[in-house]
Amino acid sequence: MSMSRSWLASRHAVLVTLLLIWSLAPMAWQLISSFTSSEALVNGAIPFEQRWTLIHYRELLSSDPPFWRYLLNSTVVAGVSTVLTLVLAVPAAYVLAQLPLRWRRGIRRAVMAAALFPYVLLFLALLELARNFQLGNSLFALALPYSALAMPLALLLLTAAFEGLPKDLDDAARLEGLTLRQRLRWVMLPLIAPASASTAILVFLFAWNEYPIALTWLSRSDLLTLPVAMARIAGSSIYSIPYGAYAAATVLGAIPLLLLVLLFQRQIVSGLTNGAIKG
Amino acid sequence: MTVLLALPALLLMAIVFGWPMLRYAWLSFHADSVLTGLVPIPNGGANWLRLLTDARFWLDAGQTTRFAMVSVGLELILALAIALLLDQRWRGRSAVRALSLLPWALPTTMMALGWRWIFNTPYGPIEQLAEAAGIGPLNLLSTPAVTWMVTVLADVWKTTPFITLILLAGLQTIPEDLYAAFRLEGGTAFQALRRVTIPLLLPYILLSLLFRLAQAFGVFDLIQVLTGGGPAGTTESLALYAYLNGMRFLDFGYSATVMIGGFLLLSLLILLGALLLRMSGALRAMQP
Amino acid sequence: MRRSIRIVGGLIGLLFVLAAVAWSGPKQPVPVSILMPAPYADASTQLVEAFNREHRGTIQLEVIRGPLETESISDLAISSLLLGDTPFDALLMDVTWLPKYAEAGWLEPLDPWFDQSALDQLILGARLGNHYNDHLYRWPLGADVGVLYWRKDLMEAPPSTPQQLSDIAIKLVQSNRVTDGFVWQGRQYEGLSCNFVEVLHGFGGQWINPANGQLELDSTSAARAAEWMQSLIATGASPRAVTNYSESDSLQAFKAGDAAFMRNWPYAWAELQKPESNVRGKVGITLMVAEPGQSPAATVGSWGLSLLKQSPHPEAAVEAIRYLTSETAQRERFLNQGYTPTSQSLFTDPDLVAVSSALPQIAKALEHSVPRPPSPLYAQLSDLLQRQLNGLLTAEPEQTNIDVGTATAASAAAMNRVQTKSDMLLKATGAEA
Repeated sequence: MSMSRSWLASRHAVLVTLLLIWSLAPMAWQLISSFTSSEALVNGAIPFEQRWTLIHYRELLSSDPPFWRYLLNSTVVAGVSTVLTLVLAVPAAYVLAQLPLRWRRGIRRAVMAAALFPYVLLFLALLELARNFQLGNSLFALALPYSALAMPLALLLLTAAFEGLPKDLDDAARLEGLTLRQRLRWVMLPLIAPASASTAILVFLFAWNEYPIALTWLSRSDLLTLPVAMARIAGSSIYSIPYGAYAAATVLGAIPLLLLVLLFQRQIVSGLTNGAIKG
Repeated sequence: MTVLLALPALLLMAIVFGWPMLRYAWLSFHADSVLTGLVPIPNGGANWLRLLTDARFWLDAGQTTRFAMVSVGLELILALAIALLLDQRWRGRSAVRALSLLPWALPTTMMALGWRWIFNTPYGPIEQLAEAAGIGPLNLLSTPAVTWMVTVLADVWKTTPFITLILLAGLQTIPEDLYAAFRLEGGTAFQALRRVTIPLLLPYILLSLLFRLAQAFGVFDLIQVLTGGGPAGTTESLALYAYLNGMRFLDFGYSATVMIGGFLLLSLLILLGALLLRMSGALRAMQP
Repeated sequence: MRRSIRIVGGLIGLLFVLAAVAWSGPKQPVPVSILMPAPYADASTQLVEAFNREHRGTIQLEVIRGPLETESISDLAISSLLLGDTPFDALLMDVTWLPKYAEAGWLEPLDPWFDQSALDQLILGARLGNHYNDHLYRWPLGADVGVLYWRKDLMEAPPSTPQQLSDIAIKLVQSNRVTDGFVWQGRQYEGLSCNFVEVLHGFGGQWINPANGQLELDSTSAARAAEWMQSLIATGASPRAVTNYSESDSLQAFKAGDAAFMRNWPYAWAELQKPESNVRGKVGITLMVAEPGQSPAATVGSWGLSLLKQSPHPEAAVEAIRYLTSETAQRERFLNQGYTPTSQSLFTDPDLVAVSSALPQIAKALEHSVPRPPSPLYAQLSDLLQRQLNGLLTAEPEQTNIDVGTATAASAAAMNRVQTKSDMLLKATGAEA
C-alpha cells in the first residue's frame, strides 16, 4: 500500500476530516438543535446569546413516561436477548464445530442465508404468534424473536471460534475426567471469550436497533423500546417544528450507544471482521 | 447425545425464520381480513390475481429495487474509499474508526426525523444555506425526486460503516508484498487499486453486496418514519406496503401475499445478479 | 351468660368499626381516557377541566393527545387493539374508520345510551356514518362537508350546474380577471375521493349502491363525472397545478385572489375573512354543482366518539362522551376554534350566526350530505380510485385540441378499471359476492 500511501498521506488530514464531518455532522446538528429554544429554531435572526435553553431536556425527563424509561426498556430487552442468544448459541456452536466438514459447510450456508434474510418480512407471522400466545407487550417475550434473529450471526462467529481451538484440547480435558459442562465452562469458554464478547455486543446492538418487531409486539407507551418511542415521538409533533424536543431525545438516546461503541469498538470490529472472513 | 445441545438454537431459528414463509405461502391462498374476522378462509388464487394487477405493488417493487441498487452502489464506493483510508496505520486511527461507526450503531428511526429536520423547508440548515446563497426556497421534501435522494442519503449514511468494516477486513488479508511487486513492475497507485486490490477484495465486495441488497430491499424503518411513503407514495417500499396492508387495512391475507411476492422478486434479483456475475466472469476469462 | 353477651357485643362493635372503615375510605374517581388527534385534544382542554370540576371525585377524564396525522391515530389505536390491549376507553373516530373498527369487533354499541330522539336532533351530515350493521357505534363531535366557494365580486350568482361552472371559470380566466378559475383538490390522496364523490352524485351516480352493496363506478354517470373533472384541466377552467393540490394549496390560491371558485371545507371561511386575505368580504358559499335534475351533494367528513368494547368503565366513558358533544361544548368549540356544530338548533342560533354568516349555507350543505362507501375496506377502495383518477387527470392530452371522443373513452376506461380492481379486492378479502 506504500504507493497509495504517499498520495493519501498528503491529502490525509483532509480526508480524515471529511470522514469525521460526514459521520458526525448530522448528530452534531441534533446536539445543537436540542439546546436551541423553539423560537430560535424557526427564527435565525435571534442573536446568539439568546438562543440556548435546557427546556427540551426538562420536558423529556418530565414527560409521561419519562424518556429514560425507553432506555431502560431497550436495555432490558437487549440484555435478556443477549443472554438467551449466548446460552443457546454456545453449546450449538460447540456441536457444530465438531461436525464433519460436509455437514458444517451445508449448515453454514443455511445459516448465512438466514443472516441475509430481511427480517422485516417476518413481522406478520410473528404478530400472529404474539396474538395467539399472548406474547405482546412483554419485554421478556420479545427476547425470543430477537434471539432467533441474532442466532445466525452468533452461530457464525462462535462456530468459527470453536473451530479455531486446538483439536486435542477437548480430548485431553475429557481424558482428565471433566464432564461436558465442566469442559465448556472451564476450558472452552475462557478460550473463546473474545468471540463471545464480540457476539454479545453485536447482539446487544441489534436488539437496541430493532424496529418492526418491537413496533408490532409493543403498544403500551411505558414498555416501548427506544426506536419505537422515537418513531412515536416523531409522529406526535403537532407542528412540523418541535424538533427541539426530538433533537433532545436523539441526543439522550444516542449517548448509551455512543458509550457502547467507544468502549467495545475492538470487539465490534473484530466480530464483524471475523464474520466477514469466515462467512 | 451432544447433538441435543444444538437443538434449542436450531429449533428457535427454524421457527422464527421457517414458519413465517410457510405461513405466508398458505395465507396467500386465503382471505384473511377484517371481513373474515381475521380468520383465514380459502379463496383460491384471488390474492395472487389481485397482486398481478396491483399497480401499487409493482410501483413499490420498482421503487424499492431502484432504492436498493442505488443505495448499495453508493455505499460500496464510499465504503471502499473509507476502508482504504483506514487500512493504513496512523495516529488516532482507532478513534476515528470508532467515531465513524457511530452512524451504524444508532437506530434508523432515531435519525430519520433528524434528516427530515435537516432538509426541512423553511427552517432546516440546508434551506437556510440556500436562502443565504440566494437560491431561494427549495421545498426539498415536497419534491418526489429530492425526497427519494434524501432516503438514499440517510440509508448510505447509516450502513456505510458496516460495509467499511467488512472491506477493511478484506484489505487486511492482502499481503504487502503484492503491492511491492506491483510497484516494482512500474504500476501506479490507481492501477494497483484496479489490478490488485479490487480483484482480491472481490469476495468481500460480493458478500457486502449480497447482504446489503437483501437488507435494502426490505427497507422499512427509514421510509416509515422519514417519509411515510410520501410524497404521494413515491418513496413507499414493498415492506411498508406489506405492513400497511396488515396493520392499517387489516388485510392479513394480502399482506402475506405481498411479502411472498416481494421475497420472490428479491430472489429473482439475486439470481439475476449471480448470473450476470458468472457471465461477466466467463467473459473476462475469455479475454486474452 | 354475661361473658357471651360481652363477646357478641364485641363482635357487633367490630362489625361497626369495619363498616365505618370500609365506607369512609376515600372513593377513587373512575378514570376515563379518550384518544384524540392533537388539534382536537388541544381544543378540548378547557372542556375537560370543566368536566373534571363538575365530576370531582366521581370521574377523572383524561384526553390523550395523539399524533397530528389522522391516519397515525388509527395506526396507534390498532396496534394496541390487535394485541388485545385497550389503553383507553374511547377514541375520536373519523367517519371512514368506523366500519373497519366495528367489523373488527372493537367497538361497543352506543344504542343503550342514545335513542332516536337524540339522533333526530342532529343535522343530517352529523347523523351519517355513525351506524354499522344497524347499530350505533359513534356519537358525532363535529361534521364537515365540502362546499363551493365563489367570488361575489366576479359574478352575479353562483353556478348551479357543471356546465355553468366550467363556462364561467373559462370566461374569467380568458378575460384575465383571474389566473385560476376553479381550484379544488386533485392530488392523489383522500381529498380527491371527497371531491369526486360530490361530482359523481352531481351527475346522478353513486360509488356504492346502499341497497345491495355493489359498486357502481362502471356506470355512465361515473364516466361522465370523471370526464368533467378531466375537462376542467383540459379546457383551462382549472390550472394544471390542481392535480397536486391539497386543501391548503387551493385555499392559498383562492385567498390570494387568484381563483374564482374553490371547493373546500367550512374551515376555509374563517381563513378567508382574515385581514391578510385578498378576498375578504367578497366570498360566498354554495352547494357543489349538479346536473339539472340531480341533487347537489356534499361529502361529509365527520369525527365522533366511539366506545371501545374492552373499556372497564363504559358508563363513565359515555358520560364524558355526552359532555364533550353537548350543545354547550359545541357552542364553545365553534366560537373558539371554528369547529362546525352537530345539533340542528345551533345552526340557527343568533349568537353563532353573528360570528359566522356562512353558517346557514353550511347547514344547507349538511342537509345535502352524502357519505363515502361505508365499507371496512374503504381505505383500499379509495386508494384504487385516487390512483386511476389522478392518473386520468395528469395524463397529457393526445392532441392539443380537445378530442371529445378520446376523453370520454379514457374516463370510462379509468372508471371501469377502478370497478374491476375494486371487485377483485372485495373478492380477495372475503366479501360475500
